[in-house]
Amino acid sequence: MSGEVPAVPAATVGSPVDVVLVDDHHMFRTGVLASLDARVRVVGEADTVDEAIRVVHALQPPVVLLDVHLPGGDGGGGAEVIRACADVAAHTRFLALSVSDSAEDVVAVIRAGARGYVTKAIDGTALSDAVLRVAGGDAVFSPRLAGFVLDAFGAAAGDVATGDDELDRLSAREREVMRLIARGYSYREVASELFISIKTVETHVSAVLRKLQLSSRHELTRWAAARRLL
Amino acid sequence: MGRSQPTRLPLRRPEQGRWFGGVAVGLAAHLDVPVALVRLAFVLLMPLAGAGLFLYAFWWLTVPAGDPADAARAARPSAVARLAARQGIVQPGRRLPLTDIAVGAVLVVGAGLLVAMRSGADLDLQWLLPVMVVLAGVGLAWSQLDAVQRGRLKERAGGRTPVGVLRLVGGLVLAGAGVLLLVGQGTGRGVEAGVLVQSVVAAVAVIGGVGLVLAPWWLRLVRELGDERAARARESERADIAAHLHDSVLQTLALIRARADDPAEVARMARAQERELREWMYDERPAPGTSLAGAVRAVVAEVEDSRSGPTGDPVAVEAVLVGDRVPDADTEALIQATREALVNAVVHGRPPVSLYLEVGTAEVEVFVRDHGDGFDVESIGPDRFGVRESIMGRVRRRGGTATVTCRPGRGTEVHLRVPVRSTTTLAEPPGATAEPQVQAPVPVVQVQAPVVPADDEGGAR
Repeated sequence: MSGEVPAVPAATVGSPVDVVLVDDHHMFRTGVLASLDARVRVVGEADTVDEAIRVVHALQPPVVLLDVHLPGGDGGGGAEVIRACADVAAHTRFLALSVSDSAEDVVAVIRAGARGYVTKAIDGTALSDAVLRVAGGDAVFSPRLAGFVLDAFGAAAGDVATGDDELDRLSAREREVMRLIARGYSYREVASELFISIKTVETHVSAVLRKLQLSSRHELTRWAAARRLL
Repeated sequence: MGRSQPTRLPLRRPEQGRWFGGVAVGLAAHLDVPVALVRLAFVLLMPLAGAGLFLYAFWWLTVPAGDPADAARAARPSAVARLAARQGIVQPGRRLPLTDIAVGAVLVVGAGLLVAMRSGADLDLQWLLPVMVVLAGVGLAWSQLDAVQRGRLKERAGGRTPVGVLRLVGGLVLAGAGVLLLVGQGTGRGVEAGVLVQSVVAAVAVIGGVGLVLAPWWLRLVRELGDERAARARESERADIAAHLHDSVLQTLALIRARADDPAEVARMARAQERELREWMYDERPAPGTSLAGAVRAVVAEVEDSRSGPTGDPVAVEAVLVGDRVPDADTEALIQATREALVNAVVHGRPPVSLYLEVGTAEVEVFVRDHGDGFDVESIGPDRFGVRESIMGRVRRRGGTATVTCRPGRGTEVHLRVPVRSTTTLAEPPGATAEPQVQAPVPVVQVQAPVVPADDEGGAR
C-alpha cells in the first residue's frame, strides 16, 4: 500500500544505495527486485539466517532489507541476523520487512536493532523511500508500528512523559507524531500538519525508535524476555 | 564472527550416551563442555561429604529427561515453526529399565537376608545396613520421577506401567523392612519402659517412610495430569487450525483458480482470506460483544468484502487499532458512524483508505482517511441523510463530535469522537495486562492535531 512511507526529497538522491535482500521466499525476492526503483541497487541476496549473516559480513551494505521470519540459525529469524551482525552495525542498518502483523515479531526485530519496519504490502516506490530513509540514519515506521507504539507505551490512555529523558513514556509531541503516522500520514504530511520540518519529524520518530529499543516498560520487556532478547 | 551469542541448550537428561541418569551428558550439553570433564567433576566432588553424589541425585530428580536439541527446538519462537505440526516424537523400542529392576531385585534380596539374619544370627553392621536399605527403597521409589518421562507415551493410555508399580511395591517393601529392622534393633536389647515410646516412634517412622515413598507417586500423577492437559489443548488447537485451513483457505484457493479471469473478484477473495487468516494467526479472537476493536475489525471486513472503489476494484483498508474496551451504546453509535464513513471513503474516495481507532480512558476516537478529493459537507442537501445523519448525527446524539476535513492533495479525513465512561477499558489485545490506570477525572492530554480552522461543523475546506 502506498502512503505508508513518505517520499524522500529528490535532493537527497545521489548514487544508488546498495542493499542486501534477505527473504526465504524466492518469489517475494523477485517481486521486490522488480519493484525497487533506480535509487536502490540490490547487491546481494540471502535466504537463511546463516547465509544472511555471511553475506552481510562479506558485503557490509548500507541497508539490509530483512524478513522477520527466516529459517536456519538458532531459529531466531531476522532478529538473530541483526544480533549476529552487531559488529558491522556502525555502517549497516536493517529495515525489517514482514507480512506479519503480530506485535511479537515487530518488537523482536526492533529491539534487536532494526531501524524500521514495513509490511510486505508496501509498494516499490514507498519501499525505495524507506530504504533511503534508513540509509540516511532515520527510522521508518509503518502505521501499524506507530499504533503498536501507542499501545505499548500506554499513550492512548494519556500516559505521557513530562521530561525528555523518560524512556518508558512518549513525550506529548512524540505521541502526536505517532498518532498521525498511525492515521496514515506520511512524514511530509505530519510535518505540515504540526507546522514543523520533516527533519524534526524524523528526529521524533528516531527518538521513539530509541525508546522502543531501550524502554523497560513491562509490555515490551515481557516480549523481549520471552524471546531471550535481554 | 558468525554467531555472537550461541544460544545455550536447555538442561535435559538425554537418553543417548548416559551412564546412569544422563545428568553428566545433559550438563555437558548445557554448559557446552566435554562430558568427561563433567564426570570428572562429579567424581572429584564425591569425597567432599558426598557433594557429587548429592548433586547428581538432585539433578537426576529435578531435570526432566529428553533430548536437549529437541527441547531447544520446541522452545523456539513460534514465528519460525508457527504452523508446523507439533507431534510428539515416538521413539520405537524403548529399552526396558533392566538396570533398575536388577538393582531393585538385589536390594529386595538383601532386605530379605537381613530379616533372616535378624531372626537368626546377629550382625555387626546392624545400624548401617537397615539405613542403607531404607535409603535404597526410597531411592527406588523416587526413581519413578525419572521414569515418568521415559515411559510417558505408554503411560498416556493407562496412567501407570507395570514397571512403575513394581518400583513402588519394591520401594515399600524395602522401606518397611528397613524400618522393621531399625525398630527391632532398638527393642531387641532395649529397656521395657521405652517400648511404648519406641512403638510410637516406629509407627511414625513407618508412616514417614510410606509417605516418603508415596510422595513421588503423587507428584508424578500431578505432573502427568498437567502435561496431559497441555497436550490435549495443543491437539485441539491444531485440529482447529487444520479444520480452518481446510474450510476456508483451500476453498478460497479453489475459487480463485476457478475465477482467475476476474481480477477484481480474485483480489477481493484473496484480501478476505488474508484478513481471516491474519485474525487466526495474530489476533486474539475475542468473544462477540466484548471487544470494541473486534467490532470495528468486523466492520472493516464487511466493508472490504461488500464495497468496491469508484473503479470497481476492491479497496483494502489499513486499520490500526489502539486499545480496546467493552462496547456499550455509545460506542455502538460510533461503530455505525465509522461504518458509514468507511463506506463513503471506499466508494467515493480514493485508496489507500486508512482507519485509526484509539480507545482512551475518557473518549474513543476514530479517524477514517482516504486520498480522494473529499466532499463538501455544506453542499450536502438537508434532505440527504447520508453523511449528515448517518455519520454526524449519530455521533452528536451521543455527545460526541464529528469532523470532516478535506484538503486538496491530502485526501479527506473523517474524525469521530465519542466520550465514554472510563470504567470498562480493557487490557490490551496483544496480551499486555493494562497497568492500573488512574481512573480519576482523567486529565487526558488531548492533543488535537491543529486542524484547518473553522471546519468543525460545516465548513469542510
